[in-house]
Amino acid sequence: MSNQLQQVINKQNNALIGDESKIDDVVQLVGFIVGEEEFAIPILSIQEIIKPISCTRVPQTPTYILGVFNLRGSVIPLIDLRARFGLTPQKHTDETRFIVMKSGDDVAGFVIDRLTEAIRMPKKDIGPAPETVSEAETMIDGVGKQSDRIVTILKVHKLLERNF
Amino acid sequence: MDEFEEILQDFLVESFELIEQLDQDLVELETRPDDLDLLNRIFRVAHTIKGASSFLNFDTLTHLTHHMENILNLARHGDIIIDAGVMDVILESIDLMKALLVRIRDTRSDNGLDVSACVVRLDAAVNGDAPVVAAAPEPVAATAALADEEEADYSGMSDAEVEAEIERLLAQKNAEAIAKRAGSAPVVEKNEEEADYSGMSDAEVEAEIERLLAEKNAEAIAKRANKQSEDTVAEIPAAAPAAVVVPTPEPTTQVAPVAKPAAAPAAPRRAEPKEDADAKGATVEQTIRVDVKRLDHLMNLIGELVLGKNRLIKINDDVEERYEGEAFLEELNQVVSIVSLVTTDLQIAVMKTRMLPIGKVFNKFPRMIRDLSRELNKKIELDIAGEDTELDKSIVEEIGDPLVHIIRNSCDHGIETGDVRLAAGKEEGGTIQLKAYHEGNHIVIQIIDDGKGLDTDMLKSKAIEKGLITEKEADGMTDKEAYGLIFRPGFSTAAQVTSVSGRGVGMDVVKTNIEKLNGMIDIDSELGRGTSMKLKIPLTLAIIQALLVGVQEEYYAIPLASVLETVRISKDEIYTVENRSVMRLRDEVLSLVHIGDIFEVERVFDNSEHAYVVVLGLAESKIGLIVDTLIGQEEIVIKSLGEYLKGIEGIAGATIRGDGGVTLIVDVAALMQMAKSVKSTVGDENSSGKKLGVKNNASDYCVMIVDDSKTDRTIMRKSLEPMGITLVEAVDGIEAMNILKQGDHFFDAMLIDIEMPRMDGYTLAGEIKKYNKYKNLPLIAVTSRAGKADRMRGVESGMVEYITKPYSFDYLMNVVKRNIKFNEGL
Repeated sequence: MSNQLQQVINKQNNALIGDESKIDDVVQLVGFIVGEEEFAIPILSIQEIIKPISCTRVPQTPTYILGVFNLRGSVIPLIDLRARFGLTPQKHTDETRFIVMKSGDDVAGFVIDRLTEAIRMPKKDIGPAPETVSEAETMIDGVGKQSDRIVTILKVHKLLERNF
Repeated sequence: MDEFEEILQDFLVESFELIEQLDQDLVELETRPDDLDLLNRIFRVAHTIKGASSFLNFDTLTHLTHHMENILNLARHGDIIIDAGVMDVILESIDLMKALLVRIRDTRSDNGLDVSACVVRLDAAVNGDAPVVAAAPEPVAATAALADEEEADYSGMSDAEVEAEIERLLAQKNAEAIAKRAGSAPVVEKNEEEADYSGMSDAEVEAEIERLLAEKNAEAIAKRANKQSEDTVAEIPAAAPAAVVVPTPEPTTQVAPVAKPAAAPAAPRRAEPKEDADAKGATVEQTIRVDVKRLDHLMNLIGELVLGKNRLIKINDDVEERYEGEAFLEELNQVVSIVSLVTTDLQIAVMKTRMLPIGKVFNKFPRMIRDLSRELNKKIELDIAGEDTELDKSIVEEIGDPLVHIIRNSCDHGIETGDVRLAAGKEEGGTIQLKAYHEGNHIVIQIIDDGKGLDTDMLKSKAIEKGLITEKEADGMTDKEAYGLIFRPGFSTAAQVTSVSGRGVGMDVVKTNIEKLNGMIDIDSELGRGTSMKLKIPLTLAIIQALLVGVQEEYYAIPLASVLETVRISKDEIYTVENRSVMRLRDEVLSLVHIGDIFEVERVFDNSEHAYVVVLGLAESKIGLIVDTLIGQEEIVIKSLGEYLKGIEGIAGATIRGDGGVTLIVDVAALMQMAKSVKSTVGDENSSGKKLGVKNNASDYCVMIVDDSKTDRTIMRKSLEPMGITLVEAVDGIEAMNILKQGDHFFDAMLIDIEMPRMDGYTLAGEIKKYNKYKNLPLIAVTSRAGKADRMRGVESGMVEYITKPYSFDYLMNVVKRNIKFNEGL
């Protein structure tokens, strides 16, 4: 009896461990377009995604900081990713979204051109960032390969780091 | 270990509170050395701390406080006289005690500080000044303390236990009395031990004991029969008085700061322990200690509520406008005003929970003045008034340092030495007054000395010497500006650096701290008569009154505490002196800066002849800030811009307005700094402003057509196309607003239909007119609504023309031409 029980428990444990390793193997990302390229960030670093709302300009900041906006009572900075990546600015369209990202206590909204989809990507499909960019400076965490396209995965904490 | 930690925290909080009071009491004691109340109070502090620290095993602290208690106890009984010498030792020991407590707070241990030197001095003071029997002090303190420790336990006991304790004491008395009557040796010793009773003569003591015995004897015997243990307790002291230690009841786990631990455990007090316990119970109910974090959280929530209230009021106003005369409005009005009233009350109530009396800060000054006057060899008296004035905890914490510096300054530089004062015909001793009082939404702290006053010429020459100002600047300075020099970093009038002052740091600290609190400093001085410094500080920091100003279509909030006044001036009142804009305000010359230059606001238009100047005052400086519009006064809640945007120069934070938008709050101190380096553009805006309006050909003109019907849009397009102007179409108010906001086109006019889905024409016109940029944009209503009321509404919402459908092509074209001044520019 106790042997049987032990076996059952062992089996369950194995199943659980198996599950965990399976989860570990897959990264869940949210993909979005800025300019011509598709980028992605881990789904857990997203607080929410909202439609564009008005924001207030903050003086003495780089041009990619559009200002601050009110997210249910919190004042949150808004960063234009196009400008951040050195692309020409573009007017907001129907597909423009603000992605509110957080890393620790840091929160900021990022303007993106449009969302693509939620991506489940096995870890093995993610390659390192191209070597041409220096390790400390890069905002790129890695490059995800999918059957028909490549997705650049960004470091959220790097995006949320003040660099002026 | 958590429990221990908790007790330790309580111990520390309590000890620091006690010590705060202690300093003041001690200084007072020096002037009234025979005030028994005062002595008792001081003794109690030493005793309470000793009791608790021994319980918590802080041996060094116990050792020190034990000796302090010792000397104080003697003083209490008049065995030694407290003179300046003794006082110095006591103060030294108190400083040491503070240091130990700080150490305990930081490291959880009292090791590492050497108290032995101080203890020796304390004992020396006891022996040297008090010709008591040499052996006496030690046992006295020990037994007194022991007895007191027993006392301490009362508060932790149930009534029954207290009763039992009384019983025990009585029994003890009983035994003693017997022993005494027998005339045996221990009696003498005992008598000394019980020094606390010494208020009475021996005869009185005897009489008292007799009386008690008579009263209690029967009862005691009965009780003793029941409680064998009590009996033993009673027996032991009689046999060996020195061993009272042993039967001390086990201390309860709680450290009980007793209300009157110092009072004698004498028989006459037999009923008191119970009363004490009762009294204590009652006071405990009245206050509770609350973690500051909780209060902060509460304050944040109130902040949210205030923002919500602001929004509600705005919505109410909008609704009122739209549904004028409807029955439900009154009800809505009532609800809104109740909510707003309650919110305000709630805010005040919560603010009050955070209020502390400023006495908490003032308390440390008597001691400081005493030390300083001894150190500087001057006679200085401190006169404190208004120590009950309350202000926010966060401000109380910030205000301490500046006051220390100001008072040190007054002592060192202000008050002259005794002989100089006498020569000048003043009293030998100088006086420093420290006053606090409310003035509107501010608290004013005034520091007045009757010293030599500030010498403007001397200040100026010192400042020139140190290279802080040029001679030319010095010549143009008013007295007030010259006084302001003392706040410059690096400025000092002291010939040499002393331990008190002279490094040129202190007053700079004052200025920075006061500015941090949005406060103002006002100095008045009369040479030879003294100096008065007035610190004006807002009552609270989290929710403030602000003046909202507009520049182009941006808004900024300026803390009202820093706004002295606002004036409307015409542009020709602005003069340029050495590349800086200035204006004459009554008999002062005020330097001006445009808010747009500070915050890099793009100046698109500027067509008014007038400007508003907000006169800002902070600490001792003043500046005029030019803004386009004054919006009004509003209660705002300060929110931080977050980690990412913190430290933006000139911005103190942000607030959320009634319409849900974010408005930045101006950091007045930083703005004044920035104003010094900003290039003035007040004069040359007209030249750049005109270029934008230049039209070279017909297609430079741009008109927007807003109509939900495709047919109507086409008709309008057909009528205007012949002019060759650019036409942009929108299907409703919302789309029109979006096109405007995108700013791809500069519109010269808009044709607006009234009936539209999502946002109608009136609303659209109202929204557009909210933007300064579009104040002069002609809005033309094109509608089939022909009623007079409709026309009126059109005019109210800012429409300049009202065209009713149907209309002829020519008519429409002419109206548009007239409004966009077509052909005039070509």
